[in-house]
Amino acid sequence: MFKIIVFIKQVPDTSSKAGVNPDGTIDRARAKRMLNPFDRYALQKAIEIKRAYGAEVTCVTMGPPPAVEVLVEAFEHGADYGVLLTDKRIAASDTLATAYALHKVIHHLGEFDIILTGLQTTDGDTAQVGPQIAERLNIAQITYCEALSISGKKLSARRVVEGGHQELEVSMPVLITVANSATPLDYKRFADVAAVKEFLRQPQERERRIKTVSLDIIGADGTRTGLVGSPTVVGKTWKLGEIGGSCTLFQGESPEREVEELIGKLRADGKGVEELVNV
Amino acid sequence: MSNPNNVVVVAEQLQGDLQQITQELLGAARGLAEKLNTGVSCFLIGHNIMPLAEKLIHYGADEVIVVDDPQLKEYTTLTYRRAVIAILEHLKTPPPIVLMGATTIGRDLAPRIAAHLEVGLTADCTELDIGDYEHKGKADPSKTGTFNNILYAIRPSFGESLKARILGPWKNPQMATTRIGVMQALPVDTTRKGTVHKVPVTFQTDDFRVTVVKTVRDVSATVNLTGAKVIVSGGFGLGSADGFAVVRDLASVFKDSVVGASRRAVDSGWIPYAHQVGQTGKTVRPDIYIALGISGAIQHRVGMAHSKVIIAANKDADAPIFKFAHYGIVGDLYHIAPLLKKELAKMAREQGIKAGA
Ligand SMILES: Cc1cc2nc3c(=O)[nH]c(=O)nc-3n(C[C@H](O)[C@H](O)[C@H](O)COP(=O)(O)OP(=O)(O)OC[C@H]3O[C@@H](n4cnc5c(N)ncnc54)[C@H](O)[C@@H]3O)c2cc1C
Ligand SMILES: Nc1ncnc2c1ncn2[C@@H]1O[C@H](COP(=O)(O)O)[C@@H](O)[C@H]1O
Repeated sequence: MFKIIVFIKQVPDTSSKAGVNPDGTIDRARAKRMLNPFDRYALQKAIEIKRAYGAEVTCVTMGPPPAVEVLVEAFEHGADYGVLLTDKRIAASDTLATAYALHKVIHHLGEFDIILTGLQTTDGDTAQVGPQIAERLNIAQITYCEALSISGKKLSARRVVEGGHQELEVSMPVLITVANSATPLDYKRFADVAAVKEFLRQPQERERRIKTVSLDIIGADGTRTGLVGSPTVVGKTWKLGEIGGSCTLFQGESPEREVEELIGKLRADGKGVEELVNV
Repeated sequence: MSNPNNVVVVAEQLQGDLQQITQELLGAARGLAEKLNTGVSCFLIGHNIMPLAEKLIHYGADEVIVVDDPQLKEYTTLTYRRAVIAILEHLKTPPPIVLMGATTIGRDLAPRIAAHLEVGLTADCTELDIGDYEHKGKADPSKTGTFNNILYAIRPSFGESLKARILGPWKNPQMATTRIGVMQALPVDTTRKGTVHKVPVTFQTDDFRVTVVKTVRDVSATVNLTGAKVIVSGGFGLGSADGFAVVRDLASVFKDSVVGASRRAVDSGWIPYAHQVGQTGKTVRPDIYIALGISGAIQHRVGMAHSKVIIAANKDADAPIFKFAHYGIVGDLYHIAPLLKKELAKMAREQGIKAGA
């Protein structure tokens, strides 16, 4: 049975207006929360491997205490165990500091065969944390992985590159970042949702399934996380000017007339559209 | 020989083809180097790639440092990682700035280099600049101070509603990746002169943990959303996969166009993910973006709102897309798209006649 670790993150829900400050910044305390959409693909891949080859799936998340919600969601999709790393000293970690803390969780958990991460997050939006964990652990990685199969301890994978793809082979352990072109997301709730609710109610079982750990418990150095441990800072942020245009709208008449007027206006505005059209 | 203060670009080639991003990076690096009063060094890694070195100089490099080895014929993370580290160790003092592309290769390699060196890395920058910074943070007194002529790595954040300036002045190199199609390449100057030299690399067995069975390049099957001048996109308003025939037909009237899509159209299985524009798809800024049957949800908007001309057709006059498009037509896209095609072709013909006269 393979041991799979999936890194998942709770992010602010950008489609809800709650918690978005007038200046465009996110008030994380008030914002609605959700599982990073990219991590669903990683989770789906883990569950696919579990069903095809047999695996124990542990999801790991780092964040404030409410982040435990994404672990519960992962159980409903068939994950077996969850780990929440939460500690005041991890707040405001950049990718290097995040990867440092997360690789310490791996040390704490012990042996593994495959680590899966999402391609990127919708809040950090860097795609860096996965490869930085792999570097810390000194293991091989396959990023932008679209498809994979396993035979013994060998893993074959297809990786996207600009203008094509690579077919790769690697021996486990390996870290994989899952492209969302992998497979359309169809992950259903594989586990019994009622059973998950039930075990969460039993303190003993809950404790067996969800571990909450601090930096001290995993033996991580608090000076290498958070603001102090991050080599980068955000120096300044500013709102992007109102993007897009003020719309000239054509409506009410026949489509023929509307299109004709639009073309007339495009011409009058001198946007150079005609140069892009085949003659 | 090499100026230790040079701004560094890591060139990107795939099977001997220099990738467009490299030219963009060299353009950006020259801008920074001028402000720092220094030069540009370019790392070139691969096998049988010496002919590319001269091109890199024409694109703006003053110096090209080459690692050429049969083991580097195909890109793999660990072998290329070793080669970049070999050059950096060869340089002795770390360069102030190292730039790479936010491509499938750059985003694979750059974070490993940054983690190895324990330096900062800013992803997906849309602007780069040089400036000063005073760090007042008290969390760590050893970081406090004023820093001059450091890299400003500027990138969109929070779904592109904000811009953030990211700084990492404490340790060199300051690293950044830049988004495809954003940085300005310089005009190619075939009279430019520069130096080329080689650096050897010693691999370790661990570097070969991943093997490339094959690299498949299928340019015809790829969707060049970030490079095309015109994007015609279809959304859920198409009603079915067949609706994309209308989208494709309108796209065919343009010289350099590709078909885009909203996530709802992709999730409906009407068109592959490679066509998706938006927060979880591609960020694009073509000269013309035509949205057919797309409502203009924020996650779609952030991926295309910087297009030069946005034209939207939607039957709902209150659709959010009309809040930020430049031109909008309220109506049924199945009527509008064919008419648009006809009128655009007519306009181009008339314009052509005028130009010819
Ligand atoms: C985390 C997250 C990430 C996301 N990422 C993306 C992303 O990357 N890209 C993306 O696009 N979306 C993304 N979405 C989804 C986004 O919120 C919207 O659901 C999606 O963009 C809607 O697609 P649509 O406009 O095609 O569909 P709809 O919102 O259903 O709009 C269809 C439109 O078509 C119009 N219409 C219907 N019939 C016709 C007709 N015959 N003629 C003309 N108009 C017609 C309707 O009036 C309507 O405005 C994301 C969502 C989340 C939560
Ligand atoms: N705080 C976190 N907790 C768990 N996983 C994370 C965290 N941050 C990032 N990751 C993982 O790293 C991937 C890339 O994130 P990012 O580099 O922030 O774009 C995500 O898709 C997650 O799988």
